[in-house]
Amino acid sequence: MPSNHNSIKTRFTYRFARSLKKLNKNRPASQSMKETYRRYHMIRVASYASMASAVGPKRAWSRAVLWKIRNRTLHRTLMKKSRIHVLRTRKVSGNPNDLRKLVPGGEGMDFCRLLNETAHYIKCLRTQVQIMKNIVDHCSN
Amino acid sequence: MGSKIETTQPQFRSGNGGPKPSEMGFVLEDFPGLISAPPRTETDNSFTALLELPAPQAFELLVNSPDAAANEESPAKPSIAGSAEVHSHFPPPPPIFPSDIGLFVRASKFSVFASVENSNNSILSNSNSKKSDIVKQEPSDSDSNPNSSSIAASGQNPKSAKRKEREKKVKESNRKSKKVTPFDASEDGGEKLPYVHVRARRGQATDSHSLAERARREKINARMKLLQELVPGCSKISGTAMVLDEIINHVQALQRQVEFLSMRLAAVNPRIDCNLDSLLAAESGSPVDGSFVGMFTPSMCPDVQYNGNRQHYNQMWHFDGLHQPVLGREEDNPNFITPENSLLSYDASANSASLHSSQLKMG
Repeated sequence: MPSNHNSIKTRFTYRFARSLKKLNKNRPASQSMKETYRRYHMIRVASYASMASAVGPKRAWSRAVLWKIRNRTLHRTLMKKSRIHVLRTRKVSGNPNDLRKLVPGGEGMDFCRLLNETAHYIKCLRTQVQIMKNIVDHCSN
Repeated sequence: MGSKIETTQPQFRSGNGGPKPSEMGFVLEDFPGLISAPPRTETDNSFTALLELPAPQAFELLVNSPDAAANEESPAKPSIAGSAEVHSHFPPPPPIFPSDIGLFVRASKFSVFASVENSNNSILSNSNSKKSDIVKQEPSDSDSNPNSSSIAASGQNPKSAKRKEREKKVKESNRKSKKVTPFDASEDGGEKLPYVHVRARRGQATDSHSLAERARREKINARMKLLQELVPGCSKISGTAMVLDEIINHVQALQRQVEFLSMRLAAVNPRIDCNLDSLLAAESGSPVDGSFVGMFTPSMCPDVQYNGNRQHYNQMWHFDGLHQPVLGREEDNPNFITPENSLLSYDASANSASLHSSQLKMG
């Protein structure tokens, strides 16, 4: 299979690996739970950010993700608290409103566009998961 | 009587703009009174125009109609019984009537009740072909003209009340057919023959709207189909709500996977070699991936793995979703490790061994 050198996949992989390297450079020796938890957050944000920047500003959801992250760096503590809360309360229920909450940037869209963005978002999420799996497996061997 | 008419007249005049069943009810009750009302200068009001018709023809129609009407729908139409009184009250109207006599004649022809509905349909189809363009471009104009003329022409009949009922039915059937054939049906609802009361409901103005809505609905359906193909297991499901639920579940599952993987990345000692090509090469389904969920898919070949992986990942995730909240809290080592241990216990032995060793290194 010929590899596409400029696909979203490759771009994401490069960016994510780069950010992981950066994160692990400053890794302290102590492996406290807090540290690991913080790293987990940073890695997760890095993962979404890498994917969003790999996709570029073409898509509404990628723009929303990048915008959120930019604001996050300003209001970091507030975001952390809300993030923890979100982790706990994610449920399976209701309908288009939930989809709007799930897809970044989905609040201010009409339904048709929301479906568009969801389709692309799902594709990119899959790629993300795939590559992260690869990295994990690669690192754990 | 006269005062009664004056108070009620203005209400009726407003009926030209839009359809209001209440108006029709109003008309039915006050019909006898309206017939004998003095003529007005406004030409839009059909009932006043009625009075301006040449007396003998109107009178003939009045005489003829109650006979036919009373047979068919006497219980429903108290006003028709009252119309018998009209003959005595009918005054010779001044010749201010502006509309065509031709309309009048046509209306009288079509006033035969037995064939009204048939002729309605046939005439509607004719009108569609003629006035389709006009309807699209200027719905309000076409609406008002046929309305005034139609009401004028047929207003002279007491059975116009009955016709209104039929028209209602026709309109309703048109409304239903509107969904099936938007172009024809919308034009139907928008503009009928003069002799039929068009009482154009607000739907008249939404011809373009209904078309736009239809286009939008088709767009949404196309997108939903794409999403159905994208999300595994969605093509069997019918119904938008269920499909949306599945999509939401899928997105949530993918997001949880990302979280879990990033947690693993944080936990595992990341000796990321600069060998990115190996990472990319691993995408094509190496056995390494397979062993990760080896418990679930022992017999699958690597190429087929990915779809299977995803499914099983989802299963795993749904089960572990119960444990997930634990990760959200900053707790002691044992609590933190246990969910991950429980998750890792699903792995094949090789993987888990390496992971345990890495954990030992961490600890």
